[in-house]
Amino acid sequence: MTETKPLIEFKDVTFWYGSTEDQPALKNINLTIHEGDYVALLGLNGAGKTTLQLCINGVIPNSIIGEFQGEVIVDGNDTFETPVREMAKIVGMVFDNPEFQLSQMSVGEEIALGMESLGYSYPDMVKTIDEVLEIVGLTGLIDRSPFGLSGGQQQRLSIASALAMQPKILVMDEPTSNVDPIGKEEIFQVAYQLNRERNMTVIMAEHEVEVMAQYANLVVVMHEGEIVLQGTPEDVFSNVELIQNLGLRMPQVAAFGHDVEKLGLIDLGGQYPVKLDQAVETYGPLFNKKAG
Amino acid sequence: MQGIVIPISMVPGNSIIHRMNPLPKLAWSLGILALAFATRNPAVLGAAFFIGLILVLVAQVGKAYLKVVMILFPISLTLITLQSIAPAFPPPWTPIVGFGPFTIYQEGIYSGISMLLRIFSMTTWAMVTIMTSHPSDIFTSLKRIGMPYSLNFILVMTLQLIPILQSEFGIVLNAQKSRAMKGTGFGAILPSMVPVFVGAIERVQQLSISLESRAFGSTGQKTSYRQVRMTFWDIALLVIGVLVTGSTTYWVIVDRTLDWSDTLVFHPVFAISLVIFATLGFLTFFVLALRQVLKA
Amino acid sequence: MEPIIKVENLWHIYPTGNVTAVRDVSLEINPGEIVGIIGQNGSGKTTLVKHFIGLLKPTKGVVYVNGKDTAPLKVQQVAANVGYVYQNPNHQLFARTVRDELAFGPGNLGIPEDEIEARVDQAVKFFGLEDFLELHPYRISFPLRKLVGMASVYTMRPDVFILDEPTTGQDNITTQTVYRLIKRLRDEGSTVLCVAHDMILLAEVVDRMLVMRGGDLIMDGTPREVFSNHEIMSSTHLTPPQITTLSLKIQEKYQSFNKTVLSIDEMVSEVQKSSQS
Repeated sequence: MTETKPLIEFKDVTFWYGSTEDQPALKNINLTIHEGDYVALLGLNGAGKTTLQLCINGVIPNSIIGEFQGEVIVDGNDTFETPVREMAKIVGMVFDNPEFQLSQMSVGEEIALGMESLGYSYPDMVKTIDEVLEIVGLTGLIDRSPFGLSGGQQQRLSIASALAMQPKILVMDEPTSNVDPIGKEEIFQVAYQLNRERNMTVIMAEHEVEVMAQYANLVVVMHEGEIVLQGTPEDVFSNVELIQNLGLRMPQVAAFGHDVEKLGLIDLGGQYPVKLDQAVETYGPLFNKKAG
Repeated sequence: MQGIVIPISMVPGNSIIHRMNPLPKLAWSLGILALAFATRNPAVLGAAFFIGLILVLVAQVGKAYLKVVMILFPISLTLITLQSIAPAFPPPWTPIVGFGPFTIYQEGIYSGISMLLRIFSMTTWAMVTIMTSHPSDIFTSLKRIGMPYSLNFILVMTLQLIPILQSEFGIVLNAQKSRAMKGTGFGAILPSMVPVFVGAIERVQQLSISLESRAFGSTGQKTSYRQVRMTFWDIALLVIGVLVTGSTTYWVIVDRTLDWSDTLVFHPVFAISLVIFATLGFLTFFVLALRQVLKA
Repeated sequence: MEPIIKVENLWHIYPTGNVTAVRDVSLEINPGEIVGIIGQNGSGKTTLVKHFIGLLKPTKGVVYVNGKDTAPLKVQQVAANVGYVYQNPNHQLFARTVRDELAFGPGNLGIPEDEIEARVDQAVKFFGLEDFLELHPYRISFPLRKLVGMASVYTMRPDVFILDEPTTGQDNITTQTVYRLIKRLRDEGSTVLCVAHDMILLAEVVDRMLVMRGGDLIMDGTPREVFSNHEIMSSTHLTPPQITTLSLKIQEKYQSFNKTVLSIDEMVSEVQKSSQS
């Protein structure tokens, strides 16, 4: 990776939902994310993934009341001082329940909602709506009711609604947890293309660890409000014992490498393949018996 | 699906009424509403109803209109039955015929007929408006004449929520039936309502964070994606609507001779058969509806 | 063995829009089986299982539960034999405490008070809910709520559990708990039907898979058979677990290897086998 200016910086962030006597939801978070990163946020329910994501567009601490310490700088803006609606031009958010993000009578109006609020001109809106519909693959559904779409389509509509404000960052909180396999595929595909083709910074919380290992260049593992591991998928998933002790799942091919190495059947030097293609290359010879 | 839940919704079409701006339609409907409450004169109400029916035909929404009428009419028939024996008029009343403890009065028949016509004149105009206007166009037009942005949003959202909550209610009811809950009765109220209610709250909380993240609620100039045209004819019709309904309303209030309750005398045979028809009509509907409900 | 669920030529056509949701499906499910039912949304899998509890009645064909035709029965009558755990626990939970929630189902069945209490106690142990018994169901975390949803059906002692997406959106710890519970339900003699997309659940927990597509039952077989069937998998947009895919890819590359594995452990023992030979 070439060294670029950080796009998102968490500096010693600690946050309590209630009073400071309770357990903090985030504890001493230090995290740097660069433009074009695809970040996978892993952790159990309640590990602080959602809380961390809500800090990126300033919903925390501006709209959700609590005790906030530290600093979050996003594209040069201190989130503490920037209204959330301003941040919408930098950060797009997609949440886990597709239907709970929708309110309008047609797909077009749903996407337009934010732009209307910001006072975009009518021709601009029409042009932008066409563009974002094309990006998420919903062209032709502009007059449909958002509530009549499939879960996967609804989630892509939420992505389109966020993209309408031309953000640099797309934050997605378990976007596939309420949709069927086709829907999952579609959402991962759209996020991947945005990242690849438009250099969109993607920050995704997910339980689908294999998919994350495939797409992300930065994996962040959270536990009880803290970041316990961060790095490339290969580095993070070399910490097999730690990850399993936290109750998290390893990509299956990496866990397999670890098990086989423990038996002394292969020497991988503690670095395991995390992607399927690598795994086929690495493990194939183990099974290549001379036919007999 | 939504069409089943709310029978009164837009019927797509391209009639001259469909192509009109919603505002003149709203103005006429509200004008007729005011007029209907201002008079009891059956001729005036009947005329308003009759013109409304012509509009239904012009708008080609007859089928959808009839569906609503089939429910509305039998329910409204109760007005005739009830009014005939207890008119909403200051006594003394002129009796026509008595049976048992009940007496049918002249004023009652008059009152029943005018109430029925009042309901139908109002609802016919309102239905034409709703069935020929896209809800978004109605809301956009209201925004343009100064309805606050947030109030507008709340109305849109409410309209959206009704069918959603109804389908949620169906899911919850099935979920509780799966736990052997009897589908009816007092015991079913909490188990089937609480989850819907809690779900709605959760939805609104999520939605508010999601909306804020999309710059909703920004201060400053708002724009509208939905464009509703207002032609010269729309403005003309709007002005005419206000003038015509306004002046007619003024006339029916001022002109005392329009109160026909003293002069109009119903023949006993007519009165009795009307009451019997109304009562039977309503009861038949009630029994049929009850059977539908019990079957489900 | 008498099948606990028997479906004969079931058709279901929704009157609105005249949609054929289930087309001529016949199958038998034996007591003690763990069966996964898969397919995309709209494939008919939910319509199919709703017949098992009487929420839907056949347009054509017959569905027997415990030898009884469900068509004339009300849901409330079938519910004593078949428990349906909804995907979203928020659709079921309403009571003031977890305890009341667990007592609701058996109460509806007319079970005597002391028996209900015994069942609640047992369910609490089974699902590990000791610390939450007096809490409001909405005050506990979502994964726990999901367990309460299951427990509230468990207290009705059904012979068959239908679990709708028991693990979607859950983290690994909860998922593992659910896997364990499903196996324990089977060990207690129950039949478990999982309508699920969780491929690891299907690979490692279920005995048998039913694959639905466009209203048809297109395959009925073991997970190994289903995952090996390339045509079925790609036409239903399903991806097997990564380790299974790995074994399939290695099969493609090295013809000498021909095992479709379902778990990491199986794959490890395959390596051991081939290193010994």
